[in-house]
Amino acid sequence: MQASERPWQTLVGVGIVLALIPLAFRMEPARFAPFLEGSTWRFLALGLLLTLEASAIAILASIPLALFFALARLSGPLWLRYPVIALVEGIRALPLLGLMFYLFLRLSALGRQLGIEALTRPDAAVIAALWLYTGAVNGEALRAAILSLPRGQWEAARSLGLTYGQAMRLVILPQAFRRALPPLVAQFATLVKDTSLGAIIGFIELYRRGVILFQGERNPMETLYVVSVIYFIVNYTLGRLAGTLERQLGLHRG
Amino acid sequence: MSTADVWHYLLLGLWTTLRLSLASMGVALALGTLIGVLRVSPVPPLRWFAAGYVEFFRDIPLLPVLVFVYSGLPKAGIRLPTSFDSAVAGLGVYTAAFVAEVVRAGLQSVHRGQIEAALSLGMTFPQMVRLVLLPQAFRMMIPPLGTVFIALVKNTSIASAIAVEELLYQAEFVIGRTFADWPMLIAFLLYLVITVPLSGLVNFLERRLRILF
Repeated sequence: MQASERPWQTLVGVGIVLALIPLAFRMEPARFAPFLEGSTWRFLALGLLLTLEASAIAILASIPLALFFALARLSGPLWLRYPVIALVEGIRALPLLGLMFYLFLRLSALGRQLGIEALTRPDAAVIAALWLYTGAVNGEALRAAILSLPRGQWEAARSLGLTYGQAMRLVILPQAFRRALPPLVAQFATLVKDTSLGAIIGFIELYRRGVILFQGERNPMETLYVVSVIYFIVNYTLGRLAGTLERQLGLHRG
Repeated sequence: MSTADVWHYLLLGLWTTLRLSLASMGVALALGTLIGVLRVSPVPPLRWFAAGYVEFFRDIPLLPVLVFVYSGLPKAGIRLPTSFDSAVAGLGVYTAAFVAEVVRAGLQSVHRGQIEAALSLGMTFPQMVRLVLLPQAFRMMIPPLGTVFIALVKNTSIASAIAVEELLYQAEFVIGRTFADWPMLIAFLLYLVITVPLSGLVNFLERRLRILF
């Protein structure tokens, strides 16, 4: 039995899947006509840009949050540790769409109360939900990375007379971040997919722009097909990047 | 709408969420096992197809898949599908990619000697998979399949976008009627009631298997 396919073989397979879908659903070539126009692609490209932007903001902002979650859980005082465990586990066990919807309700109410217009927009709720969710997931990844370091690193650092904070900052975290980098790239791909949920509460990103297009042209299947292929290209590329990083950093999945 | 009504709608939604999760998992298990087996089959194009299927669905969001299936099932020859049926098909096809990976890893975890023995007995590939590999791989597959199922339960909330009256849909409906947001917190609690014990069970099984192997 073969371990795994080579990239070109997988891509040939994706090609087979992409060829079978129009056959199974009897899609009509004529309905792809809007995609012959540059304006359609510009409209979608702007959506993709928003998707990537929201994902990038969420993941960058999630790093300090993840660090807080990981450290609180590993070595925080008891009064902090248990609430953080409950929060992290709770966030991860809830559907992201529900979290987004709830934050949209609360943030827009808060925004109206304080007179801050930006908070009432769906963008704020989408990014806040992705930030919390990714913070929880990355916090766990970081915690796993810290725990995966050999004990000797700690012992050496402490026996050199470093304080807990110094050992963490100078010895443990730089190595843990290195190990957590490939999962972070993979998490970015997950965010690109999850941002599409924002469409449901009114965030006009890539998927929502596809919906706007097909409501005008009445070609839902053809438009969603193209939109899905765009998502695939972006995330496949990110997946390869994560794999390359993993190899270059000399890490292997355990 | 009284508090009792709110609970009534939410519990109705919970019931639909459970039915949707189980039905979709059924489809995902059947299709995912097939694709996972193709992933290690001796026929290269079948292997490529299976690898492509897994890669494609893992890299795209669920929402366009659900809406695609919802608008496309009648064209694929299935008449009058309800939105529930569409959601089962969409969730099943999507989750099958994740099940397939678990099945592949399970099949590959079986010792090489088992494969050599099966082949030297003159078994065909399907016989070997059915009689030798899957029964042995099944134990290893249970915890990761549990993880896939938990993700599926959470994903059923996205079916609210195609008007399946599951838990999140009902919570949004109730909030639209009462203008209070506490029903969403109850809905969260109901989701936790399903997902938290399941992930506890997965962790327990993982630890047990680690000891046994």
